[in-house]
Amino acid sequence: MRASLQHLGVSLKLHYRNKMALIYGYLFPLIFLLAFWVLYRYESVPLVRHMGELLTVSVLGGACFGLPTTMVSERERGVWRRYRLAPVSTAALVSSTVAARYVILITAGLLQLAVALAAGMPLPRHPAELFAAFAFVSFAFIGVGLVMAMMADNVPAVQALGQCIFLPMLIIGGVAVPLASLPDWAQHVSMFFPGRYAVDTLQACVNGAGIAGVRFNLLALFIIGAGGCIAAAKMFRWDSQQRFSRRSSKGWVTVALAAWVLVGVMAEYRGRVATQRATPAPPGPVAATPPPARTTPPPTVATTAPTLSPEETRALSTSPSPPPREAPPRVNAPPETKPSANAAPQLPHPVKSSWQEVTTDDIDRDLIFDRLPADGGIVTPIAPADEDPDPEVADHVDYIRQMLPSWQPGKAADPVQRVRNLLYVAAVPDVQQAQIERFAPHVVYERLQEDIPKDQLIKILYWIALHPTDGDDSAVDQVWALRFTSGAIDMQQVRDRAAIYAVKLLGRLLGKIPEG
Amino acid sequence: MPNVIVRELRKQYGDVVAARGVSFEIERGEIFGLLGPNGSGKTTTLECIIGLREPDHGEIEVAGIDARRDPRSVKRHIGAVLQTTSLQDKITPREALALFASFYDDASRPGDLLQRFALLDKADVTFDSLSGGQRQRLALALAFVSRPELVFLDEPTTGLDPQSRRELHADIVRMRADGHTVLLTTHYIDEAEQLCDRIAIIDRGQIIASGAPRDLIAGSTMYQSVSLVTERVLDAAALDGIPGIEDLAFDGTRTTFRTPSVSRTLAAVLQRLDARGIAVTDLSVRKATLEDVFIRLTGSSVD
Repeated sequence: MRASLQHLGVSLKLHYRNKMALIYGYLFPLIFLLAFWVLYRYESVPLVRHMGELLTVSVLGGACFGLPTTMVSERERGVWRRYRLAPVSTAALVSSTVAARYVILITAGLLQLAVALAAGMPLPRHPAELFAAFAFVSFAFIGVGLVMAMMADNVPAVQALGQCIFLPMLIIGGVAVPLASLPDWAQHVSMFFPGRYAVDTLQACVNGAGIAGVRFNLLALFIIGAGGCIAAAKMFRWDSQQRFSRRSSKGWVTVALAAWVLVGVMAEYRGRVATQRATPAPPGPVAATPPPARTTPPPTVATTAPTLSPEETRALSTSPSPPPREAPPRVNAPPETKPSANAAPQLPHPVKSSWQEVTTDDIDRDLIFDRLPADGGIVTPIAPADEDPDPEVADHVDYIRQMLPSWQPGKAADPVQRVRNLLYVAAVPDVQQAQIERFAPHVVYERLQEDIPKDQLIKILYWIALHPTDGDDSAVDQVWALRFTSGAIDMQQVRDRAAIYAVKLLGRLLGKIPEG
Repeated sequence: MPNVIVRELRKQYGDVVAARGVSFEIERGEIFGLLGPNGSGKTTTLECIIGLREPDHGEIEVAGIDARRDPRSVKRHIGAVLQTTSLQDKITPREALALFASFYDDASRPGDLLQRFALLDKADVTFDSLSGGQRQRLALALAFVSRPELVFLDEPTTGLDPQSRRELHADIVRMRADGHTVLLTTHYIDEAEQLCDRIAIIDRGQIIASGAPRDLIAGSTMYQSVSLVTERVLDAAALDGIPGIEDLAFDGTRTTFRTPSVSRTLAAVLQRLDARGIAVTDLSVRKATLEDVFIRLTGSSVD
């Protein structure tokens, strides 16, 4: 025990003296955080939907690059060979190495969390469970890192192996690219990677229902971690002269791979391929991104008295000056109004009880069209009218154009609900970052103009912009009929995007935004 | 009773046989040298004894313990300096000694070792800023953390400057004075001759001679080296037919050879040169050294 503790202390000291280790262990995760912050700057609460991804990237880097690099480097120098001359067990030294790595990972995670909180993210909903989830995620990736350390004969080999795991996990493993935006085959492949389970589990503790709803993920992470640890223990080598290719124990690597396969097969069997994450915890009303605004000076807040979830209310009320991101378009409001969980802001004008009562004055007063997210940006993109989509996308566009008139939600009796449903056809691919996202708004706009008289459509679009949380969103469950990826999706985001599209299309209808 | 007993040790790597039936014993309190050229099997033999490699065959007993059956117990009795050991760049000597001390129940205090191995002024600098000699002294200090009964040194002076080498030699001699048993592998003949009570010459995985250096040299006193300088350059024909001349070599006006019967051979050489009117300007006779013994036994130079 004394040896393990002493080794743990020395390992930590050496880590904190190594500038490169600090850069990779602490600075890189913060750079990822900054990148995500910029990338998703339009979201109402910064970073809260991406902490699962960010923490997973930190653990992935620390466990699959940092740990094996340290171990292989020490083995190459003969340090582990020197340890072997002492009457101390392998298990004691490896345990303290792993413990040191866990301390490094958890401090990196805490630093990320602290910066995210400073940027305006609310506290995680389930902090204690987040620690537990983090331990599972770390266990899984440390298992992978140990296998890599046993497979790699030298440090460059660690880098090569690490990239083989890191990049696929980021791109098609559900870590950096939203699964919903990936093709079906990639979603199936992701079931065999630990990254997906890590992201979902951590995210569930940040803004979801906690680990109770992700028990399968915990099991998956445990199986992958245990498979890695067993394989690494059997393949352990003290000496860099013991080349991996010549080791009789190298077959144990199949145990680690078998764990990945087992998890993937179990997930397929249980039908867990559909994207599971980012659905905010029920119950209760969801926060609304306030719809487009027009004023310049005063602080802009929602006028529609949206009922905010506690943490989002807290985030808004404690961050009157949010970080320098492009705020989503907001509704004009008097300077003295402040968001509150208890009281809706006072409106400067009479509240309309129906969309039919909307007037041009209301639109002119409450909406501006020159501060909307750019059509060429990431949020609510719209392709230029003269741009031809790729053939594959064009096929999909034609298909939607044909199907939309018969799509059941597009025939809802209530015209507001009907328009809302059609706007979801543009909003869903936007949230999913699907290839068609830039072209879907054109089809929706055409369909709206065909189906709803212009004077009504103007009022309804205004109404939806100001009431993003009203109405029913079950239409989102039927977008599969339009060949969109099915599965759970963040409804709050979908409603936010639908509201912004409402303003963008309204601007076009009124001639305030050029059609092209 | 011998402190180390090795019997019929064999170790093979693929097709290469590194040790083929190596046997020797080391008495308590002596410095025993394994002398051999690179690749002769010295390091393999040493690493099998200290438990870093598993022999294919043979018996090893260290401090009365069967080293193959109970290697962990053996590790409590030994200290070792390996040929290729390095430490982490950013660890300090004090931290390294404290870490290794935590591995043993009865360890030396880091401060004592720093003092003994003249590392006090470098105790808190990082490993990557130590000189080669300082690193080797730290390796020795680490070997002594366990208060070892036996010390194994695998080519400890390789790559050191002459000053560091002399200091290390002094340390090794002090180990014997302190009652430690030392196994030293080296390919420096002078080092083996100077430090070791007994040596075993190992070549191609086999012990080909063993004993005290002076006994090994005495066993080959019949061979002495003769060096003479003449006023004119000689050629092989000039000394042709003279019995007892071996390893004849010419370097300008200097002629060298070895002979088992120096009086008779030298007399014949001088007579031949005189008859041809060639004057000798310098003449020296040197008795055999360990290097001569080594070359005669292995047929090659160690370096």
